[in-house]
Amino acid sequence: MGRGWRPLIVGGAVAAGTFALAQAQIFAPSAPAGGAVAGGDVYRGETIYQRECAGCHGAGGDGGVGPALAGAGLDAATVLAIVRSGRGVMPAGLVSEAQEPDIVAYVVSLSAP
Amino acid sequence: MLLGDVSETYTDLVTTVFSSTIAAKAWLASAALVLAGVQVTTAARIYGRLTFLPERGPAIARVHRWSGRLAFLLTLPVFFHCVTILGFQTPDARVAVHSLVGSFFYGVFVAKVLVVRDHSLPGWALPTAGLALASMLGVLWLTSSLWYFTTVRFGF
Ligand code: HEC
Repeated sequence: MGRGWRPLIVGGAVAAGTFALAQAQIFAPSAPAGGAVAGGDVYRGETIYQRECAGCHGAGGDGGVGPALAGAGLDAATVLAIVRSGRGVMPAGLVSEAQEPDIVAYVVSLSAP
Repeated sequence: MLLGDVSETYTDLVTTVFSSTIAAKAWLASAALVLAGVQVTTAARIYGRLTFLPERGPAIARVHRWSGRLAFLLTLPVFFHCVTILGFQTPDARVAVHSLVGSFFYGVFVAKVLVVRDHSLPGWALPTAGLALASMLGVLWLTSSLWYFTTVRFGF
């Protein structure tokens, strides 16, 4: 085999390695303790947060129309209840049921003091 | 858990500059894309195209090398987050295309770097590899940063 194949072979090996690494997700955070909302993914939740919540609570969670969430020390059950039912001017049902674990995981991690 | 700490440390580090880790990824990838534009432009000049640019020579080669190195470094935090935290996902077409192209990105990158050094290859090999790499970065940017800036938010 000519050495012209080397870039293809090495490149293929690197691509396969990347793919394997992406399957393993070695640094994915473990789900926070939270009963009903276990299995939430902080990083997926972040996208949902930026889309649905940041307008009122600030991109970094430092507050706006809504109160600051960063450092507020909220637990999963509280966040889930508020997201489901809304509170005051905050509307209910901003996220789908499938997104609930992720948004809760993100808000809990954001609000960790 | 130790592995959990790594992603937490990464998040803390990134959010000292950006409002969130996704915002950071979107901007780092955008910077890398701009540098990829510099890569393609300087490469075209080295190949005798775009003659309005300064003469080919050591200066343009240096710009080509350093823009490439910098672009590569800028992609590393994005690689860390996308590959080791989020992983391969296919919930919708955008994410599926992004995951698939992203899996091949560093493979094509390594192949391109090897092609540069291999003078026994035919002349079309290098421009092909280079353009493939730049196009892949373009697709990755369109399916992530652009999506983020247009549908989520545009800000740091
Ligand atoms: C329209 C603006 C608005 C949006 C959008 C919004 N919120 Fe709120 N949020 C508020 C306001 C205002 C309050 C305070 C309500 C009160 O106590 O009367 C609040 C309260 C909260 C609280 C309780 C905070 C505390 O310290 O008690 C949480 C948690 C919360 N929101 C999470 C979210 C999440 C998660 C989202 C996105 C899915 C979201 N909010 C979207 C306006 C908003």
